[in-house]
This record gives sequence, structure tokens and C-alpha cells, in this order.
Amino acid sequence: MNQCYGCSTCKSADKPLEQFIAGLPMETSHHRVDSQSTKCAFGLQGVCCRLCSNGPCRITPESPRGICGANADTIVTRNLLRAVASGSGCYIHVVENTALNVKNTARTKGEIKGVNTLNRLASVFGIEEEDIHRRAEAVADAVLKDLYLPEYEKMALTEKMAYKPRYDRWKELGILPGGAKSQVFHGVVKCSTNLNSDPVNMLLDCLKLGISTGIYGLVLTNLLNDVVLGEPEIRLAPVGLRVIDPDYINIMITGHQHSMFTFLQNRLTDEDVKAKAREAGAKGFKLVGCTCVGQDLQLRGAHYTEIFDGHAGNNYTSEAILATGGIDAVISEFNCTLPGIEPICDQLKIKQICIDNVAKKANAQLKEFDFQNRPAVTDQIIDEIVEAYRERRGSVPMNLMKDHGNDNTLTGISEASLKKFLGGSWQPLIDLIVAGDIKGVAGVVGCSNLTAGGHDVLTVDLVKELIARDIIVLTAGCSSGGIENCGLMTPEAAQYAGPKLRAVCEKLGIPPVLNFGPCLAIGRLEIVATELAEALNVDLPQLPLVLSAAQWLEEQALADGCYGLALGLPLHLGLPPFITGSKTAVQVLTEDMKTLTGGQVIINSDARESADILERIILEKRRGLNI
Amino acid sequence: MKYVIIGAGVAGIEAAKTIRQNDPAGEILMISADTCVHSRCMLHKYISGERDEEGLDFTEKDFFRRYQVEWKKGIRVQKISPDAKEIYLDSGDSVSYDKLLIAAGADSFIPPVGELRKASNVYGLRNLPDAQAIVKEARQAEQVLVIGSGLVGLDAAYGLLERGKKLTIVEMADRILPMQLDARAARAYQERFEKAGVRFVLERKASQAVCEADGKIHKVILDNGDEIPCDLIIVAAGVRSALACLEGSGIAAERGITVDASMKTSAPDIYAAGDITALSGIWPNAADQGRVAGKSMCGMNASYTDTYAVKNTINFFGLVTLCVGRIREEEGDQVQIREDRRQYKRIILRDGKVEGILFQGNIAGGGIWQYLIKNKLDISKIKKDVFDITYADFYHTGQRGTYQWVSE
Amino acid sequence: MKRIIVEYEKCDGCKNCSAACMQAHRETPGTIYDLDLTDPNNESRNFILKDGSGRYRPVFCRHCDEPECVKSCMSGALCKDPESGHVFYDETRCGSCFMCVMNCPFGVLKPDTVTQSKVIKCDFCVNSGGEPSCVASCPKKAIHVEEV
Repeated sequence: MNQCYGCSTCKSADKPLEQFIAGLPMETSHHRVDSQSTKCAFGLQGVCCRLCSNGPCRITPESPRGICGANADTIVTRNLLRAVASGSGCYIHVVENTALNVKNTARTKGEIKGVNTLNRLASVFGIEEEDIHRRAEAVADAVLKDLYLPEYEKMALTEKMAYKPRYDRWKELGILPGGAKSQVFHGVVKCSTNLNSDPVNMLLDCLKLGISTGIYGLVLTNLLNDVVLGEPEIRLAPVGLRVIDPDYINIMITGHQHSMFTFLQNRLTDEDVKAKAREAGAKGFKLVGCTCVGQDLQLRGAHYTEIFDGHAGNNYTSEAILATGGIDAVISEFNCTLPGIEPICDQLKIKQICIDNVAKKANAQLKEFDFQNRPAVTDQIIDEIVEAYRERRGSVPMNLMKDHGNDNTLTGISEASLKKFLGGSWQPLIDLIVAGDIKGVAGVVGCSNLTAGGHDVLTVDLVKELIARDIIVLTAGCSSGGIENCGLMTPEAAQYAGPKLRAVCEKLGIPPVLNFGPCLAIGRLEIVATELAEALNVDLPQLPLVLSAAQWLEEQALADGCYGLALGLPLHLGLPPFITGSKTAVQVLTEDMKTLTGGQVIINSDARESADILERIILEKRRGLNI
Repeated sequence: MKYVIIGAGVAGIEAAKTIRQNDPAGEILMISADTCVHSRCMLHKYISGERDEEGLDFTEKDFFRRYQVEWKKGIRVQKISPDAKEIYLDSGDSVSYDKLLIAAGADSFIPPVGELRKASNVYGLRNLPDAQAIVKEARQAEQVLVIGSGLVGLDAAYGLLERGKKLTIVEMADRILPMQLDARAARAYQERFEKAGVRFVLERKASQAVCEADGKIHKVILDNGDEIPCDLIIVAAGVRSALACLEGSGIAAERGITVDASMKTSAPDIYAAGDITALSGIWPNAADQGRVAGKSMCGMNASYTDTYAVKNTINFFGLVTLCVGRIREEEGDQVQIREDRRQYKRIILRDGKVEGILFQGNIAGGGIWQYLIKNKLDISKIKKDVFDITYADFYHTGQRGTYQWVSE
Repeated sequence: MKRIIVEYEKCDGCKNCSAACMQAHRETPGTIYDLDLTDPNNESRNFILKDGSGRYRPVFCRHCDEPECVKSCMSGALCKDPESGHVFYDETRCGSCFMCVMNCPFGVLKPDTVTQSKVIKCDFCVNSGGEPSCVASCPKKAIHVEEV
């Protein structure tokens, strides 16, 4: 017998990682897939209702309605709206904190790293402030003001940020959102017990939440982060477990709120703090990227070469990253911080610190981020981590994976850096698309889950299928983390592309899969899409552009997805979002949506079939544009 | 050992199967008037045209070859000689036996009303030849009169409705299916038959019927003087055990052949099973009797113990009914009813036990009620509405995962 | 013969076995995700019942050693397969008399809800390799197949 915790781990697209996890002496989420493989059919279809004490009620042929009388359509859409409202709430929390951080930075005359982005936002918002800090404050205030509006008042920036044809369609459909926080409140009320029973009415609320989530939670969060954290710059960077350097005190960061780390990042490279590390026996501090905040840091890595080691892996790689023994502390501020990391942290004496109350982990110390007191709190955190380092190093076994990942993943791609790369205009890309060298564009976004074939399995297989069909792939979210560790974002990956796309990639020295970073950057993809549509003078649904959240995981992904639908884009999902129990929900999302917004949901868990469907849609759109 | 079985109904077939399972070498000879093995419960499907002769066969494929049974079909037994251990056939042959099973069934009873017994257009519905004759006669018939609204009468009517005939059904009782149903359940069927075009005349008897020049009866006069015109008459007034072949044999019989629990008759090495015993008129019991007789004939100990026969299922127009036990209410009974648009259920309780049930529209899982009734289980301690009682309330698993009944 | 054994003390009443059974016997192609849970044509062959104390009692066809349903079948539709020992139902032969329903002492059988013309009966998932779907679906691992 060996020391492996269990041999029935799930598959991973990342084969070395799969082997590494299978050999670990501790339990991970990959081990639990098997014992959770029996899924409740009623849950899968979304027809289990626990909204009142009469429940749980489940739909069967003998019981087509819950006790209250709610049928499958009502139960399913109520559950979906609940999930979308919750997911939207998460993103709105993120943008709220980000805007507050920009505001506070501006008020304290802090560093404005992304002047271009600030000016872009100020111009779009119609803000004319000479002073850079007052300009930044006014931009943040404009965002915050919208977030806090009541539900019955439409947000002012929606029209300014949105592509006009889209805005007009949303207005026509009556789905322009009120204040983003109030919109979440409204959604939560709507799907409570014995209120709304109208499936279409609730689905329209999902679209509203999608719009507020997309424009504020996604697009604006990115841009506000750029203002204080710096704009992405294209470069090659190492990824995978190889980035962990045991000579340093290593801090794994998880979450979605990069602006919360600004002060810490800077402080960790200050001489007095580095001295603390040296005193403890380390060369200094390093941040190890994990989940979306790691992606965000990687995206802006050009500004943080000293402190940032690289992105190690996505949400379902986090346990493996910790299991290397090379991590001394985890600082988390949001999802996707898996509860499953806790026993591993305990076992390996890894210090857990949470800096946002909403993501407090059971075994973590809560050190809430407080802008005013950030110097003191940050120093406390650093001291705790140094203490942890002293206690654990030497006594905790190392199980590093030096060969994992690669050293040359192309990163730093944003709507601005990509355009710059193309010479300051989208025309070269448009020309390639028109010429058919690039058949179309697929945004493969969202999370990683363990059930659509295994860890990143469907995502990676789908990406391979798409690029082989000369469809360029743009990624954002944990999908990026999986795809990059599998090497598809290195320039050498051009060999997996179809002949035309391969030629383009080789000519430009880029991979066929372009990494935009965190899930928040879905907002950046949509800026790209909008600018392409503008350049072509068409509406978004006409573009040969598809979205896939092949391995969507969380409620946030559903809110993102609703934004995609509101934008009128085809949205592929590997697994259905617990809706198939409702014929109405399925009909509206997969068919009727085409006439509502131009979007549609496609559910398919087979990579090849999914790619066939997406390719077919891209070809249809090309025909529509006569190209 | 030579086994001879008279009759190719379910009792005879089951007996043959059982004998073969227990005596691989013995010679088995089956003699029947029937030329096709057929399920009498499905004759209405033949009349309606839903099934042909073959479709009525209830045996496994290749039954006679598989069980090595010799079958003389289309032959009637005229006489049995227990002393000579010989039976005499209408073909002129005689056959000897070591063990004999009489499972010749029963014949339709045509009451001596007017010239019903004489007319050429009057039929019972008991055997495939009856059904065949009815189908043939129906080709020229427009109006059909069915006398008796029991299961057989309604079966015949149901089959002929499919052939587009105009039907009148005369019934002595105040409702149809009087042996099986209460008035409410009966009405549900009556309405469905009426909707399909059947006319019922209740609480009336046929009193006059005269053959006309063509040898057929073209009108029947009822006891109130009403006349019912008809081209074809089906009499469903019960059956009588087919005892004719016993004449002179000395085998004891009353309404049916007298048998003991092992299905043995008063004569040595002669057994009887099925309708000819008049023990019960229903399929499962006839089958059981056949199996018991088969074992007894092989010298094994077997007895017919599950004699409970007050049970029926009815299925017309997709309305299914299950009735077990006593239907008629008596003083001191506790009667419980559950009724909605899809079902009507009535349970007669007495002293904490179930005396009878009548379930119409929903008989799902209804098999437990036969068990409760025939075993007289006390259900008064079960903390449930009686209609909600299920096998869950007696749930017990035994060795090898079998279910058993345990009552607390 | 093989028999589906249920450790009934483990049953939590989730009805996943029933949903799996419905899925296994649906007439349309598809996955558990698109199984129409409101279509009465999709019927489970197993039943999760409760006794008077509220304890779950899963009632599954036993494929009895001496099956009362077979004994009462007047059409030959129900047969005990001499090789597997399982009781199989041939819908095409069934005469819809439902004497089998009347005679099953455990109440396992029922007429189909939509047409009331055929019997809903466990077939041991013989068409999908004889591995009963209910077995794999049980989150409590309370259902298994044993050679008895």
C-alpha cells in the first residue's frame, strides 16, 4: 500500500496534474467527485423547491405541481432567478469595493497607474476634471452612484457604456436595469415564496441582472482596476505549479478583488518587510496566483515582476498548489476559495487570512481590509505570515512539481493591449476574419468544474476543436488557468490550430488562444466585440462570435451568461443550469431568446458536437455578413 | 406412466406443465374439443377483431413440443370407465390411462325461455367456436341482444361494438355487473357503454322468444311486454360444468365434480381441475387447481389451499376496476369511501378487518387488498387512513431478499 | 438468480431510484436532464412508500420464486424466465385484464397511468444490459444486485 489518499480522482485535462493529485496523501475535490457522482435527478432538472415549509416539493408525473401549486416552470425559473440574483450580487460587491478603492486612492492622492484608462472612462462618462485625482474620484463616484440607485431609477452609465443598438433593444424589451444593488434586491424578492410565478417575467429579470452585472460587475471592474493597478501589457510569463519558489515566503491569493491587494503588494517589496523575510530564512516574499485574482495579477504582471511569481492554477488546482507544501499562507477575499482547502491548510500549517468578511473561511483569521488602517493591518498580516513560515518550514514535507506548466504563456491581453499589438486598429483582425483566415471568434470563458468530463476536460477539448476549425479563442476566467497550464497559450500551440489560423499565429508569434485573464475580463472580451461591431457598423448578434462557458461552475457564471444573452450572443454551456425541468425555460433560453435579444443558450457536454454547433452558428453569421 | 388430460384450458395446460416438470419420462396425452389453445378471458378481443386465433394462445411458444405433450384436438370424450381405466372418444377410439385429469371446463347455460335453445341465432360465449360463430352471424346481423350484463355479457357487447353493431342488453338486476359492483361503480360502466351506443334494459327478463321461418329469433318479448327486435342473441346467463362425459362413470359430482384438496375425485386415479369442479370461475384459481392436480397425479403431496375466489378485475373503455371480497353492505359494517374525478374506492371494514374492496379508476398496487382480505388481517392498529395502507405497513424482508408480510 | 436487494433502513426517500427507473424506461431518447418529469408516460417501476411511522419502505419487484403475477396471467404475457429467473412482461401479448395487479401480494404492479392498457413492471433493465438503473442511482448505496 502507498500513501495516496484515494485512487479514484477525477480526470483532468492537465494530465501531470491529474497524476500529482492522484498521488497526494490528502483528500481534494478531485477525490470527492466519485463519491458525489450520484446526482439527484430532481436537483439536476431544477424541480426541487425548498422555498417553504411544505417542501421540499419535487415534480413527478404524479405530482406535477408543488403543494403551493407551483409547476415546474415556476420552480425552475424561481431557482434560476435566485441563482442569477446571487451571482449578480457577487459581482456588484466586487465592483463596489473596487470603486471604493479607486475613490479612496484618489482622495488620498495615491498612485494612478492607468492614466489612459482613467481618461477613457472620464471621457465616456462625460467627466471633465483637470486634476487627475479629482478625475479618478469623479469616475468612481459616478459608478457608485449608479450602484446605489433605487430599482425604479435606471442607471446613468448603462447608456454611456453600452453599444447603442444593444441599448435600444434593451429599452424596447424593458430590461434596462435600475440601481445594480437594488436590482439584486428586486430579484431576490421576486423569487421568494409565493410571489412571482410567471416564468417569462422572471427570465426577463435575469436579463436585467445580466446587464447590470456585465456593464458594472465585469466591464467597469476591469477598467477601475486598470486605473489603480496598471494596464495589462502583453508578455510571456511562467504558469503552473513550477512558479512556486520554496526559497521565498509564498502567499497564495484567491478571489476576485485585485484592488484589495494594492497596498500589500507594494509593502511586500519594501526593504523593511523584505528584511523580515530574510530574518526568517527566506529570500523575500512572493505572491502565487490562484483563481481569478491571480489571473488579474498575471494580466498586470508587467507591473509586478518582483513580487509576483506567476499564476499557478485555477480554482480546482488550488488544493494541489497548497499540497506542494511550498505555500506558507493563503490570503483570500472572495470566491473561488474552496472550503476544501481548509483541512489541507490545517494539515500543512498554512496560515489562512481573509480580508473580506463575505468570504470568511471557517479556519481563517479575519483581517478585514480597511483602507484607513491599511498600513497597520497589512503589517499585522505580514507578521502572521512570517510567523507561519517559521513554524512550518522544515517540519512540513515539500512535494513540489517543478516541471508543471510552462514558462512562455502569452499573457497581458486586454482590449487595449491587443488593439495596440494590432497597430492601434481592429482592421487587421477584421481583415483576417473577412478573408476567412480566422473563421470566427469564440470566447471560452467562465470557470472550471469537475463534472463536465473532469477538471477542465470539456473546456480544453472544446478549445482544441475550435482552433482546429480556424476559430480563434479568447478566454477569461478559471478556464484560462486550465487552458494555460495545458500549454495552449504558448506560441507553440499554433500547431494545434487549423492551417489558416496556424499561419496567422505563426506570422504574429501568438498562440491561437488568447488569455484575457480573470472572469471579470469577460467584460474586456465584450468591449472587443463591441468595438468590432462598431467598426463593421453591425449589431453584436451579427458578428461571427460565440461564447462558451463550457465548464461554468457558479451562480456568478450564470449572471455573466445572462449578460452574454442580453448582448445577443450564442452561449454554450457544458451542463444545463438546472433548468431542464421547465419546458418554458428551455424554450425561452434556447429558442425564443433568438428573437428577444438575438442570443441563445446551447447545452451540450460533448466537445466535438459543441464545436460543430458553434462552428455552424459562426458560418451562419458569416453568411449573414456576406463574408 | 401414462397421463391423460381432458381439456386444453388453463387447468389442463398447467397440469401438463407441472406433470412434465415432475415426471420427465411419463407419457402425457391431452384430448380436447378445442382445436386452438385459447384464453377464454380474451374472446371479446377476437370478436372485436383485435386478435386472431393465434393471438388468444396463452401458452409459451412450442408448448406441446417443449413439454412433450401429445394433443388430440377437436375430439370429445363420450364416456369414462374408471374400472377399465379407459376413456371413449367420439372418434370411436378409446384411450387407456394410468392417471386421468378431467379439466373439460364448462358450457354456457342457455335458459329454457321460449325457443332460445332451439334458435340458430342464439349463442353463449364460452369458447373460441362460440366467438367464431358469433362473428360469422354478426356479419348479417344489425341488432344484437345480449341477455345478462355480467362480465361475459359485457365482453360480448364490447367486442361487437367494435364491429359497429346496435346493442341492447337486458339485465334482471337493477344494475349491470351486479355480482361485482355496487350501483355507483356499475353506473360508471353503464354510462360508458351507453355513450358508445348500447341500450340497457334493467330489471327485466326475457319471457317470450319464438323462432321464425328462418329458424332464428327476430324479437324477444320481455316480462313487461316490451319487444326487443334482434338478429343475433347472446345469452350470458352463467355456465354449467361440462359433466356429460361423466355419465355412467360413477364419479361423484354435484354442481361440479367433487374433489378433495388434492383435486382427487371419488374414483381412483382420476382428478379434476378448473371450471368443471365448480369451485371457482376465475382464471388464477383454475390455473392453481391444474398445478395441484398435476403434482398429485405425480404422487406428490399438494393441496389447493388458496381457494379465495371472490375477486375480479374489470376493464372496459380504459376504466379499470378491482373488486375483492364482499361487495354487498351488511348491518354493522363500516364502509369507507374515497372518491374523486379519477377514482372511486370503497372499502367494507368489520371488526378491524377488511371484508371487501371495490376500487375503480385507480387500482395501482391493489394486490395487497386480496392478501388483507383473505388472510383476515387486523388493520385497526395502523395509524393511517385506510386508503393509504400499502405493503409498507407490513414490510418485511426475509432470506434472499424476498418480501414477507408482518403485521404488528 | 439475481435479485435487487434494498437495504431499506438506509433509504432517505430521495426517489432518485424512481427517477432513474423512469429514465431507463422512457420511450424517447435523451438524458436524465431532459427526462420529462411531468409526463405521466414516464413511470417508475419502483415505489418509495412510507409506513405509519413515516419510515421509508422501498417496494421493488422481487421477481418472486413463485410469482403470483405469472400464475394469474391469462394471456401468457408474464413469464418467469427459466434461465435468469426474472419475470418478464410482453406487452404485445397482454390482454389488459390486470389480474396480475390483483394478485401481486406486495402491490408492486399497476396499470400504466395513461392508457390503462399495460402493466408497469420491473424488467431488471434487461434492455440496457441487465444492470438495473436504480442500483447505480442510489446516493446511499442502499440498492444492489445479489445472486440469491
